[in-house]
Amino acid sequence: MSTGLMARTGHDSPMALLRAQSVYVAFAALIVIDLIFTPGFRNVFVIRNLLFEAAPVILVTLGQSLAIGTRGIDLSVGSTMGLAAAVMALALPGGSWLAVAAGVGAGLVVGMINGGLIAALDINPLISSLALLVAARGTAEALLDGSRVSLPTGGLFDALGIGAVWIVPTVAIIALAIAGLVAFLVRTTMFGRYVLFIGANKAAAMIAGIKVRRTLLLVYAASGVLAGLAGVFAAARLGASDPNYIGVNYELDAIAAAVIGGTPLSGGRISILGGVFGVLLLQVLGASFIMNDINFSYAQILKAVFIVGALYLQRAGG
Amino acid sequence: MSDIILETRAVSKRFGAVQALSDVSFALRAGEVHGLAGENGAGKSTLIKILTGFYQPDEGEIILSGTAVRLDSPRAAQRQGISAVYQEINLIPERSVAENLFLGNEPRRFGVLIDRARMERSAAELLARYDLAIDPRARLGALGLGLQQMVSIARGVRLGARVAILDEPSSALTGTEVETLYRVVDRLKADGIAILFVSHRLSESYRLCDRLTVLRDGRVVASEAVADLPRAALIGAMLGRNAEAIHGNRPARTPREGVAAFEASGLRWRNRVRDVSFAVRPGEVVGLAGLLGSGRTETMKASFGAETKEGGAIRVGGSSVPSPTPGRSIAAGLAFLSEDRRAEGIFPKLSVAENLTATALPRIARFGFVSRRKQAAMVAEFTKVLGIKTAGPNAPITSLSGGNQQKVLLARCLATAPRAIMLDDPTRGIDVGAKAEVHEAINRLVEQGLGVLVTSSEMEELMALADRLIVLTEGAVTGATSTDGLEVQDVLDMLAQPHEAVAHP
Repeated sequence: MSTGLMARTGHDSPMALLRAQSVYVAFAALIVIDLIFTPGFRNVFVIRNLLFEAAPVILVTLGQSLAIGTRGIDLSVGSTMGLAAAVMALALPGGSWLAVAAGVGAGLVVGMINGGLIAALDINPLISSLALLVAARGTAEALLDGSRVSLPTGGLFDALGIGAVWIVPTVAIIALAIAGLVAFLVRTTMFGRYVLFIGANKAAAMIAGIKVRRTLLLVYAASGVLAGLAGVFAAARLGASDPNYIGVNYELDAIAAAVIGGTPLSGGRISILGGVFGVLLLQVLGASFIMNDINFSYAQILKAVFIVGALYLQRAGG
Repeated sequence: MSDIILETRAVSKRFGAVQALSDVSFALRAGEVHGLAGENGAGKSTLIKILTGFYQPDEGEIILSGTAVRLDSPRAAQRQGISAVYQEINLIPERSVAENLFLGNEPRRFGVLIDRARMERSAAELLARYDLAIDPRARLGALGLGLQQMVSIARGVRLGARVAILDEPSSALTGTEVETLYRVVDRLKADGIAILFVSHRLSESYRLCDRLTVLRDGRVVASEAVADLPRAALIGAMLGRNAEAIHGNRPARTPREGVAAFEASGLRWRNRVRDVSFAVRPGEVVGLAGLLGSGRTETMKASFGAETKEGGAIRVGGSSVPSPTPGRSIAAGLAFLSEDRRAEGIFPKLSVAENLTATALPRIARFGFVSRRKQAAMVAEFTKVLGIKTAGPNAPITSLSGGNQQKVLLARCLATAPRAIMLDDPTRGIDVGAKAEVHEAINRLVEQGLGVLVTSSEMEELMALADRLIVLTEGAVTGATSTDGLEVQDVLDMLAQPHEAVAHP
């Protein structure tokens, strides 16, 4: 448990521990199968592309893991990505750095609203984030009139959209660095403890004098900021801000990745490293389907079967 | 007496280290209202869960109308005619009263269509039989909680219940609803249905019950007709001398003079705490004596800010805490240990260390980062001082026995170095050894100048711990006394004063 990114704080029987490690085993198995059976999987460009796709999903999974750790959920992350991309497009005249900051700021605003509804008004996170899922997407489309805005080439957007160190994209390095930071926060800070206390037993956390509302506000604000940055990354990769496309259904991948990685929906436990591997697992799985020419509709079904299987293995982890 | 419908013979049930029921035998007769009395953890809810099929007894048998039965699920119990009404209704508030009454076996036309007219007619007849002025077409959720409970009872009877278990049916009822409940109960009696009635209100039990069975520590300590069990005897049976008497006597103490460690004046909360005032000096243990439902827990929670008080003032170490929240109270030097270890105490899934240091994190953290070294030192200190038996600081809290979990929670309170601490039934449901250790720990802390306010379900324990008692009856202070030379019986007499004597503000 001293691995850098690892933020397991629960304690269980050996069987449950083994189950909590299942994401690593499944990931390794999938890689081995792909190396043997999938044509072209060894190509380093495949890996680079995968990591480009994974970076924004990793970011929203981090926020999602914090929310789930408090026994909440954040359904708004995908739409927040779309809104961040749209706000970024509007702020382009101020320069690319300002545009990126505006996109992340938009994420913060959505996160604060979500956190405010949950913390101050005691609204169920499922409901408040569902409302924001609809509202943020609608706002994104309204801001850009539903159309796609191309980003300028060169400079910052190229650095984010195509920049890489050998086969590791810059955005993946940033996402992994932030993952390390979040894992560190969860492991070593009072904030991290409070998140787990609230998830493990909210009534006990209140009686223990823990700042439940402030912690919840911070959690959802952080999720919003991370989703904002994810939206910036996704738009840079696409080379355009497309409010109808960016971030659609990302909340579902983020929830699946977090839970597969060992962050149970019942709260009180967070595994950041597991969540990162959950994202990689889902990305590799999707790529495997495409590279083996499996029809997209069937691929969706297979992915669903796989997720249900992985969650079944985790069922007693909560 | 009439026929015995439901009977338990030598029923025992154990949960881990806790013997919840031992050798419980009692009989419920047709047309009788049988009251079940006992303090927290006496075994009432375990017994009810066994009778309603939620738990299986480890030993003993359940006899229903002369034959031994296995009630291996709530559904099986219902099929056999045992119907329970809990405080929380398990019907569908969005549907009509008639639909709820007939849920699952509605009258049909042509086998598929629900015969709504017939259903509503039958529902009206059923309601009229119990004198319930309820429109069968009304939405259930629109009725008061009390009437919803009556509907739940009527449904049980319609499904052929021969035994009705009413678990604290009146704790949420208004005055007129209570009268309606009494009427319904009388009618059920007349119909030959046996009623098991659980209530914490003694006057209600005396008004309704024909017979009372008292549980204490999982054993039947009295089972008498109400006429043979006067109030004082009942309370004595509930709280009286424990079979496993508390070891060790209260050391002689002189509380320190000067500023009170903790005081409340004119505390009010929702009619459950009425103008309560008291002061706890440093180096003193004050007991809040009262039955369950007397407002002892509510007094503590309102003082601490776990509930928002509606009036009164709290001072800790002489400084006022204007509108207390748990965080502010802790910062001011007041700690609180809840009686409900599972719901309001432990953080399951987390370790002993994480549980123990929860409240004191600011003391072992710098700039928000928790120091592993200081955490280890704090855990080691309290593990030693309180004698916590654990496989290690990283062991899951749920791997500890109830007594050791409780010590971890006590450590959590003490880790903030409070001036005063409120312990709500601190040894509830823990074994005798752990109990004695908790007592020793409390005595040591008081020696060092801590002020303690304590309650207990056991009068013996309260007498052994407290220097002074404050008597609470129905949310109001009705007496105060030193425990020097006081006998348990004296306190029981104080509690047994009929509540008419209490001045209601």
